[in-house]
Amino acid sequence: MQVVNKICQHSFAGFYKALCYLLLLLLPQQALFASESQSNTAAMWENIEMRGTQQSVYFHAWGGDQQINNYIQWVAKQVKQQYDIDLHHVKLTDTSEAVSRVLAEKSASNHRNGQVDLVWINGANFASMAKHKLLALDWAGKLPNFALTNPENNPAMTRDFGVPTEGMEAPWGQAALTFYYDSLKVEQPPQTLAELLSWTKQHPGRFTYPKPPEFLGMSFLKYALIILNEDQPDNIKNKLYQAATAESEAQILPALWAFLDELHPNLWRQGHHFVSNGLALRRLSGDGELQVSFTFSAAEIPSAIARYDLPDSTRSYRMLDGSLSNIHFVAIPYNSPHLDSAKLVANFLLSPEAQAKKQQTSVWGDSSVLDLSQLTPTQLAYFDTTEKKHLSANIINVDNTRLLSELHPSWSAVITTQWLARYGVQ
Amino acid sequence: MKSITIPSLVIEKLQLKQQDKVLLSLDEEIIGGQVLTIMGPSGSGKSTLLNWLVGMLPSSFDATGKLYLNGADVSNISSHQRHIGLLYQDPLLFPHLTVEGNIAFAMPKGNKQDRLDEISDALKQVGLTGMEKRCPHSLSGGQQARVALLRVLLSKPKAILLDEPFSKLDSQLRQETRQLVFDEIRRHSLPAVMVTHDESDAIAAQGKVITLDKLI
Amino acid sequence: MIVANTFFTRVVRTSPTVMIALLVVPVLGGLLGVLLPAFGWFPALGATEFGLFGFTELFATPGIERMLLLSYSTSLVSTLLAFLITILILASYFNSPWLKRIQRLLGPILVIPHAAAAIAIGFLIAPSGFLSRLFSPWLSGWETPPDWLFPHDPYGLSIILGLALKELPFLLLIALGVLAQPEIGKVLKQQHKVASSLGYCPMTGFFKVILPSLYGYMRLPILAVLAYSSASVEIPLILGPNTPPTLAVAIMQWFSDVDLSLRIKASSGAIVQILVTLSLLLTWWGIELLVKKCSASWLTNGAREHGGMIIKRFTDVITFIMVSTIALALLGMVFWSFAGFWSYPNLLPDQFMTMHWQSALTQMQTPLFNTLLIAFSSTLLAIVLTLLALESEQQSNKTISAVSGLIIYLPLLIPSIAFLFGLVWMFEQVNSQHTYLNVVFTHLLFVLPYVFLSLANSYRRLDPRFSSVAASLGASPSKIFWQLKLPLLISPILIASALGLAISFSQYLPTLLAGAGRINTITTEAVTLANGASRRTSAVYALMQMLLPALFFILAWLTPKIFSRARV
Repeated sequence: MQVVNKICQHSFAGFYKALCYLLLLLLPQQALFASESQSNTAAMWENIEMRGTQQSVYFHAWGGDQQINNYIQWVAKQVKQQYDIDLHHVKLTDTSEAVSRVLAEKSASNHRNGQVDLVWINGANFASMAKHKLLALDWAGKLPNFALTNPENNPAMTRDFGVPTEGMEAPWGQAALTFYYDSLKVEQPPQTLAELLSWTKQHPGRFTYPKPPEFLGMSFLKYALIILNEDQPDNIKNKLYQAATAESEAQILPALWAFLDELHPNLWRQGHHFVSNGLALRRLSGDGELQVSFTFSAAEIPSAIARYDLPDSTRSYRMLDGSLSNIHFVAIPYNSPHLDSAKLVANFLLSPEAQAKKQQTSVWGDSSVLDLSQLTPTQLAYFDTTEKKHLSANIINVDNTRLLSELHPSWSAVITTQWLARYGVQ
Repeated sequence: MKSITIPSLVIEKLQLKQQDKVLLSLDEEIIGGQVLTIMGPSGSGKSTLLNWLVGMLPSSFDATGKLYLNGADVSNISSHQRHIGLLYQDPLLFPHLTVEGNIAFAMPKGNKQDRLDEISDALKQVGLTGMEKRCPHSLSGGQQARVALLRVLLSKPKAILLDEPFSKLDSQLRQETRQLVFDEIRRHSLPAVMVTHDESDAIAAQGKVITLDKLI
Repeated sequence: MIVANTFFTRVVRTSPTVMIALLVVPVLGGLLGVLLPAFGWFPALGATEFGLFGFTELFATPGIERMLLLSYSTSLVSTLLAFLITILILASYFNSPWLKRIQRLLGPILVIPHAAAAIAIGFLIAPSGFLSRLFSPWLSGWETPPDWLFPHDPYGLSIILGLALKELPFLLLIALGVLAQPEIGKVLKQQHKVASSLGYCPMTGFFKVILPSLYGYMRLPILAVLAYSSASVEIPLILGPNTPPTLAVAIMQWFSDVDLSLRIKASSGAIVQILVTLSLLLTWWGIELLVKKCSASWLTNGAREHGGMIIKRFTDVITFIMVSTIALALLGMVFWSFAGFWSYPNLLPDQFMTMHWQSALTQMQTPLFNTLLIAFSSTLLAIVLTLLALESEQQSNKTISAVSGLIIYLPLLIPSIAFLFGLVWMFEQVNSQHTYLNVVFTHLLFVLPYVFLSLANSYRRLDPRFSSVAASLGASPSKIFWQLKLPLLISPILIASALGLAISFSQYLPTLLAGAGRINTITTEAVTLANGASRRTSAVYALMQMLLPALFFILAWLTPKIFSRARV
């Protein structure tokens, strides 16, 4: 069986090569007849659809949430039906595992037969893979469904934490920092960063954040960093969205350390121990050890209540001074042996059907990246579901707070290093 | 202070039972220097008797009767407080200790030099001069048997039990060792019980012989 | 001894070489795969010059001294603690029916994977855990969970508790296994009797007579436990601090960090980890020498009573606390797996339900299948290799050399975190895409030593006269092997198989790394879930982790009984 697979892969590889040459021949024509490029793109896509069927796709995606895992199972069923693709969800505890794997393959000169076909990624992981040239280039813009995100008017679709994606990844969903609390225990949750600080003083030990460089913990620090520097002149503030330099670090970071120095003594465990991720926050909230907490996937709250992991009295809200928001993507490693199939899956993930399904609170509750104004009435119909929602699914302040954009990814490394030096050893 | 009595071991109206079945009955008095020999096939309850005498009767057995040592009732005293020495067919020397260490282990606490001198003297008497620092496993079978004997004697027991003590020795060695053991028992005037299935042991012991029957 | 030259005997003759190669090549290859980057050789990152900058960077890490100290102290203290309690239990209950009872109570802990044990202990000692609920609010006055030290305390006490509770049953069963060997145990028991008849109280008798001999047989397993605990990942990850964590956890995090240049530091860390483990083994050896020296005169000073009763009472208390800790931890976990919402400080969940089991069981099928497939493959391989190697011993009439004997322990003595990453690199070099095979071979590294240890004694103890009689009746070596030895050894073979399966079930890091994350087993899922999601799902997985090995041990124990009954 294994041997047969191997042979098939080899003959496919030859086939790929021939097709690539063919495509190269086609390219100049495409440039000449710009008006026909659309139909050419369609033709290319048909080719991809032809070649991509009946293969396996190994989708490396964080697997810590059962709801998301179930959604990926649903996707697997759909792509099996549509393209006869076997989608395998490789559950990661941390996306960096996939990054290391591709790097290890590259170091072993395995340039064709990588184990990762598709990876769920954004931010620092993406920046790292892009820097080490571990991703397939210039494919995302060519997905038919990508146009539905309206990228011309929505620059967030082609920038990942400020870094241009250059077609290396396709958007999948978006999230914003959402706080939650037990309404039986907390009457008035803190609604700004300043209120949070004074609230922790009154309620020591009932709030904490994950240890950086963990994604959610880093997001909290970035939120704080933005808010704390709001009164700075624009030319300094804008440095948050550019690569960090020694100068900008000196201008921007001190406010954060001063804030944390004041916050930490009143954190859970007096700031001597930090949890490892957002799920640990949720667990501690369920145990009653924490009373105010936060997440990037607001939809996990009603589903956690349904599974009894959080009390029924949990409510969610957004901070009034702003909510950090970002987009997450899927990318294809440069050495994936199933490039075309992976593109088909990525395209399906962007389809109105899949995006609408994902947005349902009972499924995942992750906001769609599609621009609904671009959709046909039939496509829009997918989004018309009337769900019965738990009270916690109605996010307080969702409409009257602004979304804060992500910082340049270089800030993550800077914050992590300095945080670890300051607070990493207690 | 206890009254001084003649060294003696008294087994009074002993009945050993297993699940209400009587294994053996015994009523004996052994004066210091005498050897009571118990003979019988395996399964006749010999080793059960020895276990009772040292206070290690397995819980599957029941016993009625009393054991007096030098006039004191020791039936309910735990084994390590009875001062009844045991000599097995295997010398059972402790491998982690030297010859000297094995004997010192058995001796009562005291001045270190005095104890060492006593050990040297004792070794000399049994023909093991200068063997203090030897490892037990470097000794011959006969030598080991003699060290084991010294170990028991120097622990100053009030009585001594011999469990097939000579059965692993060849006949020449057997006679010599046997003679030595009985001489020492008499010299220390210790009451002794010997379990054996060898007639010649019984004859050499020159004491009363009880033969147990196999049950069932 | 003249051995016929048949296919069977040729296979048998080469088997020890094959077995040793299967253990040595991956371990040494894996070490090489870490050694090169540790000294700066990492072409994928463009690092092609040897140098010490990995180590420079490592020692510049904030808190590195704390990491080293934490790794060193937690493993040393936990092993010492486990060893001392083992000895106290043996000394206090030697020749008492309680020993068997304690063995029966603690035995099942042995098959609980480290991850599951850590999860259970975490549930117990957390501020909102079972222990705190037991005393709240009536005694403690806590209406909301306190913000207290455990787990994740900076001193590593939670790690020590977890490791010690996990190591103790292992050491106890090793000791009881030694005592159960007729040629050792019987002699030791008689010597104890001799000591008793010389007036030694049972406790002192044990310490002065049994322990010095028994310890010799326990030394290697103790060192294996020490080495394992110094570099283990699961328990420190789930129960330990993270400001900073232990060295092994930090290494694992660096290896999987986004910043790929950390790989070089991680590799240097792996080398330092080996040194930490080595220094622990040396420390133990030093302590051993010291104790030996100090106790030499005490052994023969003739003192016969050393507060035996007090020590016994103390042991009773310790044993009681330990057994109830384990019982409470397990009970808490069972509760969580059936719990609806469980508000603090209620001792019992607000509702009971089977929904977590139902949803977990439907999602568990693939991991369960993977777990079983890998475990059966690696165990079968290990049993076959072990039997052949042991048979070759008997045919050539000499036991395998001391070096080979040590090599069998190699994967247990070298911290796995030090060679596993290199091993993955090696799989890449040979471009082995067969993740299943990679995982099976990696598991074999850990399954084989245990299977060998478990089978060797029974095989070597088999009365050689059986074979002689059979040979004189004209039976060929292969017939003797198949029709005589295997049936005689069926019981130990089944037990060794169950042990092999249990070891394979419990592997986390090897499965994760060799399987490229593609192969999910119950254990990898349990660890993933332990760090997040819900206590309820994680309790279900942890319980599954315990039930699986338990099931196979029961099968291994029952099967021969059923067969022998059928024969009668």
